Amino acid sequence: MMALNGTPAADTPLLEVRTLSVAYGRKAVALNAVNLTVPKAGVVALLGANGAGKTTLIRTVSGLIRLHNGAITGGEVLLEGKSIAGLSADRIVRLGMGQVPEGRLVFKNLTVEENLQVGGAILPRATLAERLDAVYDLFPRLAERKDQAAGLMSGGEQQMLALGRALAASPRVLLIDELSLGLAPLIVGAIYQQLKKIREHFGTALLIVEQNARLALGICDYAYVLERGEIVLAGPAELVAASERMHESYLGARAERQAAAG
Amino acid sequence: MSIFIEQFLQALTSGIQLGCIYGLMCVGLAFIFGIMGVINFAQADFMMVGMYLVLAIVGSLLASSFLGPVAPFLAAFLIAPLMFAIGYLLHRWLIVRTTGLRIANQIEAHQAQLILTLGVALILQNGALILLGSAPASIISPLSYSAWEIPLLFDDFSALFINKARTYDAIICVAVTLALYWLIRSTRVGKSLRASADNPTAAIYMGIDVDRAHRIAFGLGTAIAGVAGGLIVLYYPVQPLVGFDFLIIMYAGVVLGGLGSLIGAFWGGFVIALVQQLATLVLPLQLQNATVFIVFLLVLLLRPQGFFGRHVERA
Ligand SMILES: Nc1ncnc2c1ncn2[C@@H]1O[C@H](COP(=O)(O)OP(=O)(O)OP(=O)(O)O)[C@@H](O)[C@H]1O
Ligand SMILES: [Mg+2]
Repeated sequence: MMALNGTPAADTPLLEVRTLSVAYGRKAVALNAVNLTVPKAGVVALLGANGAGKTTLIRTVSGLIRLHNGAITGGEVLLEGKSIAGLSADRIVRLGMGQVPEGRLVFKNLTVEENLQVGGAILPRATLAERLDAVYDLFPRLAERKDQAAGLMSGGEQQMLALGRALAASPRVLLIDELSLGLAPLIVGAIYQQLKKIREHFGTALLIVEQNARLALGICDYAYVLERGEIVLAGPAELVAASERMHESYLGARAERQAAAG
Repeated sequence: MSIFIEQFLQALTSGIQLGCIYGLMCVGLAFIFGIMGVINFAQADFMMVGMYLVLAIVGSLLASSFLGPVAPFLAAFLIAPLMFAIGYLLHRWLIVRTTGLRIANQIEAHQAQLILTLGVALILQNGALILLGSAPASIISPLSYSAWEIPLLFDDFSALFINKARTYDAIICVAVTLALYWLIRSTRVGKSLRASADNPTAAIYMGIDVDRAHRIAFGLGTAIAGVAGGLIVLYYPVQPLVGFDFLIIMYAGVVLGGLGSLIGAFWGGFVIALVQQLATLVLPLQLQNATVFIVFLLVLLLRPQGFFGRHVERA
């Protein structure tokens, strides 16, 4: 791994992945000795191309890897210094890990409000009501559509709902997988603006998984680049954005050059 | 003419009374299917178990002498927690092996569920045959014999008789259905059950224990079957294979109502009872069930998604 200058905050990090290795089935290694740290209230991006292992990392951190016939073959996952590697997914959620899954996965037959209520069901009733108000403040569009079935909303609205639903549980860290997938650039831009606000309003740490490196680098403090299951580059957002390797493979320099040559 | 009107009103009354019980039967089956996608072939045999349990409670002299005419109705409620526990544990030990997200191939899972619940049904039927024998048994409450008599206005001697026991049965069935509907619509547990049904993967991401949600759903569905059985035993003798009489009605009712819809399932069962009872006016008794199927097929031809079937998805 090529480490660029600067590391995230030094005290116990919120989420820490240590030399984590994961395999599907017998030998399909998907992650190899991955190290990754999300500091309190930090915004961290995990970048990489198709099949790099980003979703695998998220699944492992959230306790869902066994469901997909995968297993941890080495290393640790720590939430505030405590190992969460063997815990069930619902336990991990209760410990403060919020999920915005790949493909949004809103509850289509439930109303917008019900989606949020289910998202916040781990909170006591009184706290939940306040929390929902805060979510509605952040996403006024959701408030307008409270009683609509979630399946009838547009893709962008469903993505907002998936975010709001995860936020409803007052998580300490949000895992956001491929938020931009299948959405128009304009909408993606708007939702990324909301992500900034999430940190400001709620102090929630974010682990943002993205193929679209430019987008994620625009809002994160720190970025990791995953290639074929290994971290090949890590550092503060500006340094990663400026790095040669990043330009070559992800920020389109090569593509631009090819277009110019061709 | 007046004789026919009298008969018609009488059949309509029985249809409505029986309809509420059929409705509740169908609600139990639809509930399990709606939440976990499992077609439970043992549902009618859970009814049989409920019938025998109520029989046992009321048959012990103690209960009936204490509680008098309402004993059978109270017994039907008393067995609900027991039936819930039976369903809950059955899911925990057996059904769970064929359901949930761990099962990779959902189509094969359906086959496994089918065979498993069919096996449970056979064990219940044959277990009851061994333990209790094949002779039908029944109970009666003093209320089974009493009726409200409503004089019909067109002459002096025609009257409509509304059986009290059946009326109480019907009211309880409607109340239980509404209670379940409220539970699933408005409570926290209900919402997490619906979320688990809607998207199990996402439900897990929200911290819901989906297997537990399924256990609860299976327990509730079983309890409803038990209560419906416990109520119908007042006018339907019980024997170990009595489930067959209800099985077809339940499936037809649930499909009529639109798979998975609770209120739809209730109306499905209701309509079937109505058709069945009204058919007795014009057709020989043996053809009662044939008319049910003719109506069933007609509805499916005209409205394949059932009365209440719908699906929320962006076009
Ligand atoms: N359930 C599974 N069983 C076996 N192999 C899997 C499974 N899920 C993923 N893989 C493999 O693991 C590797 C990493 O996949 P992963 O889904 O983590 O990539 P990703 O970075 O999220 O890609 P994308 O950007 O396309 O979502 C891929 O080679 C993939 O084929
Ligand atoms: Mg992915």
